[in-house]
Amino acid sequence: MKETENTFLTLINQHKAIIHKISKMYMNDAEEQRDLFQEIVFQLWKAYPSFKGNSKFTTWMYRVCLNTAIICFKKESRKVDKTPYDGNIDIIDVNENEGKEEKLAYLYTAVQELNAIEKALIFLFLENQSHREIAENLGISEVNARVKLNRTKEKLQFIIKKNGYEF
Amino acid sequence: MNFDNLKNEWNAENPAESNISSDMLKINQAHTPIDKIRAKMKHEFFYQLFFLVFMAIIPHIFGFSALINRVFMMTYSTTCGFTAYYFFKFYIFYKNSYNLSMDTRKNILWFYYEMKLNIELYKALTYIVAFISVGFLTAFVFIEKASIFSKILNKLSPVYILLNCFVTILIIGAITELWAWFYYGKYLKQVKKVIDELDYE
Repeated sequence: MKETENTFLTLINQHKAIIHKISKMYMNDAEEQRDLFQEIVFQLWKAYPSFKGNSKFTTWMYRVCLNTAIICFKKESRKVDKTPYDGNIDIIDVNENEGKEEKLAYLYTAVQELNAIEKALIFLFLENQSHREIAENLGISEVNARVKLNRTKEKLQFIIKKNGYEF
Repeated sequence: MNFDNLKNEWNAENPAESNISSDMLKINQAHTPIDKIRAKMKHEFFYQLFFLVFMAIIPHIFGFSALINRVFMMTYSTTCGFTAYYFFKFYIFYKNSYNLSMDTRKNILWFYYEMKLNIELYKALTYIVAFISVGFLTAFVFIEKASIFSKILNKLSPVYILLNCFVTILIIGAITELWAWFYYGKYLKQVKKVIDELDYE
């Protein structure tokens, strides 16, 4: 048991960035991010016996992490600004000179307005997953994954623009 | 917006967080909607147990006659029987583990139908206990207050009596449905919303 636990901890620590990124995408509040992080680690540990090594560890991990994030809802529905874009917004151009962290911070803010499935689509896309892999993870057809991803990317662009940023 | 640049930056991001320790594997309870429903059902089990113990002393409190005591024993044993059956079902639900490594669609559908099934079981038990209680109260009135009750019944039209029965059923139904919805429904609604988002084309 101890050996299994150590192997699991080694694997999970190698890929903990996945859990951090998902927690930040699905929760806006720092405390809720911590709770989700802990919940994901717990669910990964609980599901670990189901990992038979037939696929890559990260493939299995993506599924458990995303499924946990999708099913764990925020404590209270946060009020998100849903003001439609009216074109009268001062756009801040976040260029290459600005910090990459700042760009990602804008992204994390913008994804809070996406629904759980759209977040999963953007996450898997950013993790370099192909349309086929995205479809397999979500249990939808490849065509559907492609269409949904394109729509979500457009929506994300719109939100970022609406928030007054461009990159 | 250049998604390829964003992708590169995303992949270069490496949050500097401390290592995950074995302590994090030892939390007692998960917080998925199904775990929340299970926790609430566990609480309800204890309330129900308390209710059954309280029911057992009702004849002593109200000093039932021998005849009504026999009717009460029948009511009590039937209620205990149904409660034991449903709580056995809930116990299986409580112990039934889930696997989050399935694809999202399978996973979310499993959660939805498992929750829905158990909420329906919960409602069925509430209906049964409520109707058994109404049955006992009716028997009580017929046996203990027969003379007064028969006088009242003679004055009432059959339509009025039927209407009363119908309203009673409606009230029991409304309370059960509203209580189940208020107590468990929000989780089901949240999961259904995700299914709709997944199905939307």
